[in-house]
Amino acid sequence: MNSLSVVQIILLSLFAFFQINEIITVGIGFGNPVNAGLIAGLIVGDMKLGLAVGATLQLMILGVGTFGGASIPDYATGAIIGTAIAHISGKGINYGIGVAIPVGLLMVQLDILARFANTYFAHRIDKAIDRNDDKAVVRNSLYGAIPWGLSRSVPVLLVLIFGEAFVKNVLNYMPQWLMGGLKSAGTMLPAVGIAILMHYLPIKKFGAYMIFGFVAAAYLNVPMLGVALVGVGFAINHYNSIIHDKNQSGSGSNGLDTEKAAEMGVDDKGVITGDEE
Amino acid sequence: MKNNTTKKTTTTQSHKLTKKDIRSANLRWIFTSALSWNYETMMAPGYVGSQMPILRKLYGDKPEDMKKMMRVQSEYFNTSPHMGSIIQGVDIALEEKEGIDSVDGVRGIKTGLMGPFAAVGDTLLGTVQSTIFGAIASYMALKGNPFGAILWMVALGVIYIWAYTWMPFAYKQGVNLVTSMSSKLNALTDSATLLGVTVVGALIPTVITLKIPFIFRAGKVSMKLQDIFNQIMPSLLPVLLVAFIYWLLDRKHMNSTRATWFVLILAIILFNLKVVA
Repeated sequence: MNSLSVVQIILLSLFAFFQINEIITVGIGFGNPVNAGLIAGLIVGDMKLGLAVGATLQLMILGVGTFGGASIPDYATGAIIGTAIAHISGKGINYGIGVAIPVGLLMVQLDILARFANTYFAHRIDKAIDRNDDKAVVRNSLYGAIPWGLSRSVPVLLVLIFGEAFVKNVLNYMPQWLMGGLKSAGTMLPAVGIAILMHYLPIKKFGAYMIFGFVAAAYLNVPMLGVALVGVGFAINHYNSIIHDKNQSGSGSNGLDTEKAAEMGVDDKGVITGDEE
Repeated sequence: MKNNTTKKTTTTQSHKLTKKDIRSANLRWIFTSALSWNYETMMAPGYVGSQMPILRKLYGDKPEDMKKMMRVQSEYFNTSPHMGSIIQGVDIALEEKEGIDSVDGVRGIKTGLMGPFAAVGDTLLGTVQSTIFGAIASYMALKGNPFGAILWMVALGVIYIWAYTWMPFAYKQGVNLVTSMSSKLNALTDSATLLGVTVVGALIPTVITLKIPFIFRAGKVSMKLQDIFNQIMPSLLPVLLVAFIYWLLDRKHMNSTRATWFVLILAIILFNLKVVA
C-alpha cells in the first residue's frame, strides 16, 4: 500500500489536462497511452509500472485515431488512473490494466460531452463575427481547450482524491476470481486492438506482408524494430514500382477502410455507436 | 523606362502578405487547430482563428469584406490536423491573389481538399505511424524499457518540425500544388500502409502472451496442451484469438467497445475454469 502526495495528485491531473489538448493539436504523442503511462509512472515514482500499463492499453488502440472526430476509448486517461491505482494498491501491472480498461471505455462519454460543450464556443464565434469582433473570434477558438482538458483532469482528480480510501477498502474484499480474471484479461486484450486495427488496414491486399512479419517475429525471433526495417524495405520497393509504373491506377485508394470502420460502429459523424445506455 | 512604383496595385488586391503573416498563421494552426473542435463546425474555430492574421492584413480596412470572409472561414471544416496546414497554405495563396473575390474558390478548396487530405493524413499520420512506432514502443515498454516510447515522441517531433514547412510550401505553390503532389502522395500512403501491415503480422506473436496451463492425463501419461500447440505452430493461440475477434467484429450488433467488454468477461470466465493462466 502506497499513497500519493497532494503534489503528485495535482501533477497527474494537470498532465491529464495537458495531454488531450496536445494530442488534438501538435500531437507528438503525450496522449498516446504508452507515453501517458510512462509519464504517470514517473510522477508516481514507478516508471516500469506506468510503462507496462500504458503499453498494454496502447496495443488495444494501436493505429486507431480520432478520425473524423470519432470518440475512441480514452486509454491515456485510463493509463493515468490505472497506473496511479496500481501504485496505491501495490497490486501490480495487471490490476492497473484491469482498472484502466473500464475507465478508458467509460471516458468515451466525457469525450462526447467535451466535444458537445465546444459547440457553445462555435456559436459565440458566429455572434462575434456579426459584431465584426475579430479578437473575440480568436479567443473563442482557444476556449475549447478548457472543456477538453477538464473532461480528462476532473475524473483523474476525483478518482485520486476519493479513490484512494475506496480502493483500499475494495482491495480487502476483492475476490481472487476477479483479480486472477483481470490478470488473464491482460494477456488476451491486446488481441482486440490488433483485430480492430486489421479492420482498418487493407489486409486482403497486403496479406502476404502480414505473414512475412509474423514469420520473422514468431519463428525467427526478429525484434520489432528489425521487422519494421524489413517492412521499410518492402515499402520502398512498392513505392518505386508504383511511381515507375504509371499505368497502375489502383494505387489511388487510401489505406483506411472507412466502410469497415462504419460497420464496426463508427458512424459517419464519427461517434462510436452502441452502448449508449 | 516605366516607374517601378506603379507595378502591381490592382483593384481587387492591395496588400502583400509577408513571411511573418504566414508564420503566424502556421503556428496558430499547429498549436490551436482542434482546440474548439465541436460537433457543429468541427475544426472551423481553429481554422478561422489561425487564419486571422491573414484576414486582418487583407481585409482589415474593409469591415464588410472582413465579416464576409470570417463567415466563410468559420464554416464547417474537418481534416487531419497537420494536413490542414497545406489546405490553409493554398487558401492563403488564393486569397492574396484574388482578395474578396476568392470567396467561392476558398470554399471550393476547403471543402474539396479536406476529405482527401483527411484520408491521407489519417492513414499516414494516424494509423500507419502509430502502428509502427506504437508497436515498437509497446514492445519495449512491456520489457520495462522507455526507449521506444521516447523514440516515438522524438520521431513525431522531427516529422512535425518538417510539417512546419508545409504551409509556406503550399502557399508558394498555390493551387498547382494539388495536382502535382496527389500521385506521389497516394503511392506514399499505399507503401506506408504495407509497412503497417508487416508490423501487425509481427505484433501478434510478440504482444499476446496467452498461454494454456491445461494438462491431459491418460493413465500414467500426461501431456501439456500448450506443448501440442507449440509443435503445430509457435503462437498458435494468439493467432486463433485474433482471428476469432476479427471474425467477431464483423458480426451484427458488434462494435469495438462491445468486443472489448466481451473479451474482458471471457478472460475472467476462462481463468476461473482454469483454461487460461
